[in-house]
Amino acid sequence: MHNLSRRSFVSFALASTSLLAMPAISTGSARPKVVVVGGGAGGATAARYIAKDSKGAIDVTLIEASKHYYTCFYSNLYLGGFRDYDSIGHSYDNLSANHGVNVVHDWAISVDSSARKVRLGSGANVSYDRLVLSPGIDIKYDSIDGYSVEAQTKMPHAWKSGTQVKVLRDQVLNMPKGGTFAMVPPPNPYRCPPGPYERISMVAHILKEKNPTAKIVVIDPKNKFSKQGLFMAGWEKHYPGMVEWIDNDTHGGIKNVNPETMEIETDLDTFKADVACVVPAQRAGAIAMNAGVTDGDWSPIVPASMQTKADGNIYVLGDASVASAMPKSGFSANSQAKVAANHIRGELTDSRVFPAKFSNTCWSLVATNDGIKVGANYKAGEEKIEVVDKFVSKTDEGNAKRKKTYEESIGWYNGITTDMFS
Amino acid sequence: MVNIVFKFFIAISCLLIFRGLLAEPLLDGADFDYGEYLSGQCLTCHQSSSDEGIPAINGAEALYIAKKLILYKNKELENEVMQLVASALDKEQIASLAIYFNSLEK
Repeated sequence: MHNLSRRSFVSFALASTSLLAMPAISTGSARPKVVVVGGGAGGATAARYIAKDSKGAIDVTLIEASKHYYTCFYSNLYLGGFRDYDSIGHSYDNLSANHGVNVVHDWAISVDSSARKVRLGSGANVSYDRLVLSPGIDIKYDSIDGYSVEAQTKMPHAWKSGTQVKVLRDQVLNMPKGGTFAMVPPPNPYRCPPGPYERISMVAHILKEKNPTAKIVVIDPKNKFSKQGLFMAGWEKHYPGMVEWIDNDTHGGIKNVNPETMEIETDLDTFKADVACVVPAQRAGAIAMNAGVTDGDWSPIVPASMQTKADGNIYVLGDASVASAMPKSGFSANSQAKVAANHIRGELTDSRVFPAKFSNTCWSLVATNDGIKVGANYKAGEEKIEVVDKFVSKTDEGNAKRKKTYEESIGWYNGITTDMFS
Repeated sequence: MVNIVFKFFIAISCLLIFRGLLAEPLLDGADFDYGEYLSGQCLTCHQSSSDEGIPAINGAEALYIAKKLILYKNKELENEVMQLVASALDKEQIASLAIYFNSLEK
């Protein structure tokens, strides 16, 4: 009898607490709610892991404007003719069917962090207990004089996969014989550090076969780049004399671009291109800016959890975050998503929270069967994500190893897209 | 009577095999939940259904997984990614991953 009374009292107390707490819980739902904005490597992975591992205990909504997601990783391989376009497209159907994720195809317009609500393009509001923002990058169109939203069809950046990469591929395939392809890579920090140089390799691969007298000029705002020795040795080996890379100290700075005349002006010279890929500077996707969790262009995070430093209820993953030593890559975003998912589940359902563990590997293709890679392990330091150990491919490794590295990258592509979308 | 003796023999055998597994030092300290969390790092690359480029490891013998990870950790097997992954795993983490992947369907 005594036990029964105590249990009744506990039930009453809990009920009272819930009632008192009701006005503060905007979800009105018995299950805690997680809203994930952005269905890329960070967001899709976070939504899938939170839903899968909580076994229905958490209500997960994924907000993503596109019905089909075309991966940025491997979009260069589509450009080079190693993959067809459909093979880098993925649907969100399995996230709903297999894990009960509520997928909403809409834009997240704004975040009211005090009311814990996300406002959608349709005008609807979605409440959350925890919000995960994984919006990727926005292009800073005004970071290069003469560049604009309108300019991107003539000088595509093609830095968000999708149709722009198609436009760029068509332009390369239709370039005049003996013409010039110009590439302006972005300044640091940017999405996919080896990406511009893999892109150059893929364009060279097409030109070597279809337009062998064509030239590639790289007008870089930097003086060094990721896997530089490996790429430059690869260009010399596979595309001798075709690629000229000009560093910032040599050209003295990019003054402006002109999409009408297809010119790129630097202190040193004005370069005229037949096809130009111009990738401006970048910043966190607009919704991270809007949510008030950025400092400058990116979102500072707590390394142990990926919570933003500004708001413990909001997590930022992937390119939009300041992940310190971790590069802005799909692999990094996927790795960070699992740390955040484990932490969110712990906060909302009292499940066990394990120490953060991060990793990244970036594979790049230089030519047919010539794959290279760079990778590292990371740990959560007090203030920053820190490197524990790292590796990079060697310039003198044999052809068999390079082929194996390329094949490994195919395995990784299938692995990560399964990990995001299955 | 023969039947009872046979059942007893089977029961004792099972118990010995089970004790043998538990006593396997490579799997000491294995923690299933921890293994599930750590497996996230592996699943970025390893798939359950395909060996293309990267081997499938779901349902593999726990001892086989543990031994492989130790070989990578000691750099006795080649592959920079796996050496890096294994170098950051301690004994308990290796054991946890081994029993977790062993539990998954092939």
